[in-house]
Formats: sequence, C-alpha cells, structure tokens
Amino acid sequence: MAQMQILNVVKTYGKTTVVHGISIDIQDGEFIVIVGPSGCGKSTLLRMVAGLEDITAGEVHIGERLVNQCEPKDRNIAMVFQNYALYPHMSVRGNMAYGLKLRKLPKEEITRRVDKAATLLQIEGLLDRKPRQLSGGQRQRVAMGRAIVREPDVFLFDEPLSNLDAKLRVQMRLEIRRLQQRLQVTSLYVTHDQVEAMTMADRLVVINEGRAEQIGTPMEIYRNPDTLFVAGFIGSPAMNFLPVTVHGQQLRISDNTVLQLTAASTHQGPAILGIRPEHFTVPTNHWSELEIIIDIVEPLGAESLLHGHIEDLEIVIKLPAAIAARATDRFTVTVDPQHFYLFDPNSGQRIRQ
Amino acid sequence: MIENRPVTTVIAHCVLIVGIAVLALPIWITFVAATHDAVRITQVPLPLLPGNQFFQNLAAAWGQGIEGAGGQPVGNMLLNSLAMALMIAVGKIVISLPSAFAIVYFKFPFRMGFFWMIFITLMLPVEVRIVPTFQVVADLHMLNNYWGLSVPLIASATATLMFRQTFLTIPDELLEAARIDGAGPMRFFWDILIPMSRTNIAALFVILFIYGWNQYLWPLLITTDRSMYTVVMGIKQMLEAAEQAPEWNLIMMTTLLAMLPPILVIITMQKMFVKGLTETEK
Repeated sequence: MAQMQILNVVKTYGKTTVVHGISIDIQDGEFIVIVGPSGCGKSTLLRMVAGLEDITAGEVHIGERLVNQCEPKDRNIAMVFQNYALYPHMSVRGNMAYGLKLRKLPKEEITRRVDKAATLLQIEGLLDRKPRQLSGGQRQRVAMGRAIVREPDVFLFDEPLSNLDAKLRVQMRLEIRRLQQRLQVTSLYVTHDQVEAMTMADRLVVINEGRAEQIGTPMEIYRNPDTLFVAGFIGSPAMNFLPVTVHGQQLRISDNTVLQLTAASTHQGPAILGIRPEHFTVPTNHWSELEIIIDIVEPLGAESLLHGHIEDLEIVIKLPAAIAARATDRFTVTVDPQHFYLFDPNSGQRIRQ
Repeated sequence: MIENRPVTTVIAHCVLIVGIAVLALPIWITFVAATHDAVRITQVPLPLLPGNQFFQNLAAAWGQGIEGAGGQPVGNMLLNSLAMALMIAVGKIVISLPSAFAIVYFKFPFRMGFFWMIFITLMLPVEVRIVPTFQVVADLHMLNNYWGLSVPLIASATATLMFRQTFLTIPDELLEAARIDGAGPMRFFWDILIPMSRTNIAALFVILFIYGWNQYLWPLLITTDRSMYTVVMGIKQMLEAAEQAPEWNLIMMTTLLAMLPPILVIITMQKMFVKGLTETEK
C-alpha cells in the first residue's frame, strides 16, 4: 500500500515521442483508470511504471521512493497482463507461488498466501490444474491471484478484461473492483473501454496522443469535459457534435435553426456544440426546438436510441421507450441549455460561459 | 470431405499395402538372411522363410565379429556408435539452447551478425569442410577417440535455428511476468524457457540421435584403430573381407543389430517427438 506520483513522464522511441509529459498524483488505495484510444500511449505509461520500459524523462515515485532506476522486481508491484501471461508448464499453485519462491519466502508462508488468495478468488479447486485446462475467466482469476499473493504496493492492470466475452467482462469488472476495495491496494488500470473506465475508476485519466487530456472522477469528467476529445470519448453513446455560429446569446446551426443560450457567450463566431444523446427531451414551453429526421430506431428496452440527422449531421438521441414510440420520421426535440457544451473548433478546448 | 465408397477403400488399402511391402521387404530379407547359415545364404534362390541359425549368428556377430573385418565384435561397435550418437545429440542440444537464448533475448553488438554466421554454417556440412576439419581434429590429437568422432559434428546450426524459432513463439508477456516475479535471465532460462521447450528438445534429440548414428564418412576418416569403429561403417568393412566370400548371414545380423537403437529411441520418444513438431499451444 502506497501513494504514487508520476511526474512529467516522457517516453520517446528514437525520434517519435509517444508520451508527452504526463503527471498523475495517486492517493493510497485509489483506483486510477487510464483510458484512451489504442495507440495513445496508455500501455507505455503503465509499462514505464512497471519498469518494463525505460523512462526517457520524468520521475515515478512509489511510496517515498524514486523508482526510475529500479528493476521491476524491486518496485514491489504486481501486474496483470492482457493475455494473462501464465506459465503454461506450471500448475495454478506453481504460477502463484513462483514469484514468492524467487523471493525466498519460507514454504509455509508461500502456502498460506496462495491458499488465502485462492479462497478470496474462489479458485481453491483449481490449484493443481494447468493453465490450459482453465477457461478464460478462470485464467483471469489466476493472474489476479498471482498479483495478490505478492502483497504489492501497487497493482497494475494492462487491459485485463479485453480477452473475455462481454458477459464475463461485466462480472469480472465488478469482481476486480470489489477485490480492490477489500485489499485497499493502490491500482493503475489501463483500458480502451470507456464503460469499464467509468464504472471502475475512483479517478479517470483520459489520454489522447500521449497527453493527459483530463484527470478527474468519472462523474466530473462526464459532466464537465475539458476538451472536445474527452467529451466525445466518455459517455455512451458518444456526444453529438454540431458546428454552430455564436451570435450573442444565439447559436445558429447549419439548417438555420437557432438555439438560445441562457446568457450571452463570451465567445463569438464559429464553435462546436456538444449535446449528449440522453439530454434531449420532448419539447416543453421555453427551450428552443430542433427538428430531426429519424432514420433508425433502436429499442433497448427501457430506452430507445433514435439515429437521425439534421442536414448532413448525424444525431443520436436517447429517449425513454414510451416517448420514443411516438417518434415519426420528423421529430422535434429540445435540450436544456444547461446541457450545451461549447468547444473551440481550432483548439478543441471547452468554451466556458 | 469424407467419401465412403467401398471401391476407393479397396484401392486405398492396395496402395498402402504395396507401399508397406516395398518398405518392409528389404528388412524382412535382412532378417531372413540373418537366420540362415553362411552356406545357404549364398545359394540361389534366396530363402524367403527364416532358418534356424538365428542364435548362432547372433552369438557369432555379437561376440567375435567377422575375421576378415579384423574381428571386431558388434557389441563394441554398437557401443562406439551409441557413444558418438549420444554425444552429438546431447552436445548439440546443450550448446544450441544457450546460443538460441542469447540470440533471441539479449541485445548485444553484432547480434544479427552472429546469427548469420551461425546460419551460414548450414551451408557447410562436414562433407564440404572435411579436409580442414580433419586437419584441426588431427592437430588437437582427437583422432581415434570419442571426442574426434563427435565434436566436429556437434558444431552446426540446425538445432540453434530450431530453438530460435521455438523461443520466438513464446510471448513477450511471459518474459515480462517473469521479470516482475523477480526472475533474472538465467532463472527465466531454466524455469520457463527450458520446460516450455521440453517437447522440442525431445523431437530434436530423436532427429540428432539418428543423424549421429547414421554418420558414415566422418568416422571412416578419423578412426584407424579398429576398436573405435562404429557399426555403420563396420558393416561396410565386413563386405571388404579380402580373402573370403562375405559372410552375409553375419553381416545381416549386424545390420539388424544396428537398426535396433534408433528404433528404440523412436518408439520410446514417439509421443513427445510428434508433440514437439506439431504442438502450437504456448
């Protein structure tokens, strides 16, 4: 158990820089999810913390220690890999005990720790099997067990659920979270799946092209995205973006619909308006309306997704199923101006009112 | 597609039976010849059914050998062959495991250069470099001993290349997991790489053992002392018994005996051999 600091960490391969100075302050016992599209440098960041990649510049502190120069084994971390990386010729018990054996722990202590972790993960019955005799979910548990028995300061997860089927993923995601809360171990978790990121994280780090775009709790990031990228990446279905022109208190969309802001904007001229699909409602008295041509309705049960367009701009709307049933091919909706997100079209930065 | 027509089944069986007969007939004749006495075997037609001299021939071949060939007992020649084949097989595996390990997992200057140097030796089998090799072995005083028989044949690239391929299929995550677990390079080699290549090692052992056992030219060249003859070249020497007709019954018995060790190796290691060549799960 330890707090952790990542300070201005940079990674370059030859001339290409893949991580451009990321800083994260991590509290003891916190569950941090690093999320971003593939190739954004999130795995590289994790591997630098693990010691599997050299740190080009910057500092990584685990607890009070600067670990830049430490071998992975001396950092007191444990890592769960995407493909589990279990030793195929060792039994489950052998896999879990191997790291402890190398640390020269006494035999009884090893047995005690392995049995304890196995009970925690409900894999007591599998201890004598080989990895190839296990299902994906079971292998995942063994990989977790191997991390737990080390009693590390930090857990590192590198997309551990991406090889599982959807149902198991949801289940394992809860289980990992529950386990982490119980063990209170500081964790860094890398994923490209924003649902996983939202549901598991104490705090999220959204990374794009090697830069941390925003760090915050999932709800903060959802409610208050700093940039166009974060707004589009977090939330499912993704936020709708409409190019608009701002004139005083008015937003003009390309089909000449005009939306009213609550107050005059500080920013004038072209901007990008973001509206989350779930923030559309049926027209009420005082908000300005939008007419949308509906192409496809996807019923999800309690809610429905309406896929439509305004001119050539695609729009996704999420409405309660009862309301959606009334949707015809031309459908009028409205949005509370509180839920307008305006972005600068050039920098992608949020325009705050 | 599976076809199930009686005609094709019959034809398939006929082809297979002919094939087996072609392969098995020489071995049968060898066996039959080894069971007759010296006189009967030189008469025409060749006997096709076994005689009653099997154990006499066995005793003669095993114990004293053929006089014309210097009277080397087959037992001794088998021992020489066995020592040579084992030294070649084990030696190659022991040397090529660490060299493949170095080439795959370590970054050092001229790594690819070394790899290509090893690779190029594939084009230089013993037969090609036989004169210089003989010179080296003679200078090292390794004529007429087991070292001379095996060392020049140990140095070759096949095993190194095969292990390199095996190691390349082992996912990097395993190495990383081992590093986090605290395994240094040699620990990783012993605890993970070698157990994971177990079946490949077995398969290679079978191939190399037979390769070593079948060596003919090299032992012929460097053994002048009759007590160092190997069985494969010994058989040839028996044919050249100058003063008398070749004792075919004893020669055939020797051939039978010479076939046994490779057969035993294959039978005992067959399962791992097939696994090692086909297994893909890592």
